[in-house]
Amino acid sequence: MTTTPNTDAGLITRTDIEDFLYREAALLDEWRLNEWLELFTPDCLYEIPALDCPQDDAGRTFSIVHDSRVLLEQRVARLLKPTAHAEFPHSRTRRLITCVRILGTHGDELMVAANFSVHRIDLYAHVEFVGRYEHVLVAGRDGLRFRHRKAVLDLQVLQPQGKISIIL
Amino acid sequence: MTGPTTQPFVIDDRERSRFLVNRNVFVSDEVYQREKELFFDRLWIYVGHESEVPKPNDFHSRQVAGRPVIFVRDGKGEVRVLLNSCRHRGAQVCREGKGNNKIFTCFYHGWAYRNTGALVNIPDAEAYGPDFPKGELGLVAPPRVDSYRGFVFISFDPGVEDLTDYLGNARHLMDLVANQSESGMTILPGIHRYSMKANWKLLIENSCDGYHGMSVHQTYIEMMMDLGVTPGIMPQDEKARPAPNSGIDLGNGHATTMMREIGLPMMSDGAKELAAQRRRDLVELHGEEYTARMYNLTRNTIIFPSLVIVDLNFGIQVRTMYPTGPNSTEITGWQLIAPEIAEELKAYRIDNALSFWGPGGLATPDDVAALEQCQRGFATVKELEWSDISKGMVKDTPTTMDELQMRTFWRRWNYLMTGEQARPEGPTYHQVIGADTAGVS
Repeated sequence: MTTTPNTDAGLITRTDIEDFLYREAALLDEWRLNEWLELFTPDCLYEIPALDCPQDDAGRTFSIVHDSRVLLEQRVARLLKPTAHAEFPHSRTRRLITCVRILGTHGDELMVAANFSVHRIDLYAHVEFVGRYEHVLVAGRDGLRFRHRKAVLDLQVLQPQGKISIIL
Repeated sequence: MTGPTTQPFVIDDRERSRFLVNRNVFVSDEVYQREKELFFDRLWIYVGHESEVPKPNDFHSRQVAGRPVIFVRDGKGEVRVLLNSCRHRGAQVCREGKGNNKIFTCFYHGWAYRNTGALVNIPDAEAYGPDFPKGELGLVAPPRVDSYRGFVFISFDPGVEDLTDYLGNARHLMDLVANQSESGMTILPGIHRYSMKANWKLLIENSCDGYHGMSVHQTYIEMMMDLGVTPGIMPQDEKARPAPNSGIDLGNGHATTMMREIGLPMMSDGAKELAAQRRRDLVELHGEEYTARMYNLTRNTIIFPSLVIVDLNFGIQVRTMYPTGPNSTEITGWQLIAPEIAEELKAYRIDNALSFWGPGGLATPDDVAALEQCQRGFATVKELEWSDISKGMVKDTPTTMDELQMRTFWRRWNYLMTGEQARPEGPTYHQVIGADTAGVS
């Protein structure tokens, strides 16, 4: 199906957002990270706030991830190398995205919330990351893009997860 | 210790320059129990930094050496550590991770304690009679609580040596951290708490291991080079100003690696100028030589048994690791920063620190993965008993790429476990930084 993308954020429906987020989840689960990177604007930010102060600015605290576009590209380049040891061989992931809501629009921007449960399975363990997304999406001619992708974990300690070597 | 089947734990063969550690020390429950008794019940153990409780009545509750404690600044400003267990029936009286409280009330029967520890209310107190020793039933503090330059430690052994003596030359490394701020180095909000399925000592080794950098962190090094920066562990321009490159025994099992600063990728011109200005300010305070040591060298310091301070030019990581069994470890990481530096420089340091450290960094997950792989490999311990930590033992001055710093840890570990003495190796801290500065810390 081909449709002309809507560049007016006010005309984007929840179904449009769900289609976007589900496609994004599939790209991550399939480790198609370079295609995934195309879903981001040049001025994007990807962040995971600190577990003990998730309401605080990830750029002003010892948070978990605070990636500008440059660093996000490096994160992706790294994860696709066999020398990204924590993800070699690649773990299997399965992302359950739900409770998608449009919280508001502002110009070409949409404030979007969703819940996630991301499962990571490797040869040794199955761990789960639970939390919510707080995204700022941009409606453009070539479809929706992330300007701000924020994964807020509900976990208080990464035990037994131990690390966040995948993208959440 | 008596009766273990795994001795010797350590073979320290100076003649053949071989240093071997028995892998049973990473898997044995008996060894783990002895470590708890000999180290975590007796030595100085790090609790937190005074800057984490800046205001009266601020507190954090956390696990330290296997015990729940409340790390609190009381109403008069004194920093205290209290065991988080009600004198009545033992329930934890504080159930929040952090906050600001004058009173901690046990929700089981309602006994209430001031944040000095004093028991201030017992519901239906008359039922205990007039002789009930309420004044003796406050929350208990560990027998020894002391601090050095903002770093607060406790010991459960009333007879433990004084903290300053215990820290030995590690104090100079803590000074190099503390002196980076006039107003007091400050822990940033945000604590990394994570676990690994590996023995805690593997992370001590890893925290001061220069040798693993090129292999485990190859992707990080490639990232830096991609962004136009040559990391410090790469071969350097020899015409550049000479810098120490040494593993150093700091006494009492503490050790450090000291080498030239590592590169700063993605630094804006504004941040570069702010960093240069910051350096000029520090030179004014401390002089060029000390500032160069503070600012243009990096240090990975281990403080026996389980505190690490990694002081790099882009960030300062404070890290503790406590065993929860021979095969499992709880890890906590904090970030120290000079609070007075400009916001742009602060933001740069935070981003740079996050790119490397922590459970979502581009480096730490690979360390965790490496150590868990070691632990899995130890299932062959009956066939493969020994790990090799000999690197650089043939040299007079082992470098940061060698393993003197780990051998220092293991010699202390072995001494405390078995009573076997070992002579130190390599130059002292003051020999490395230059005899002319021996009087300077």
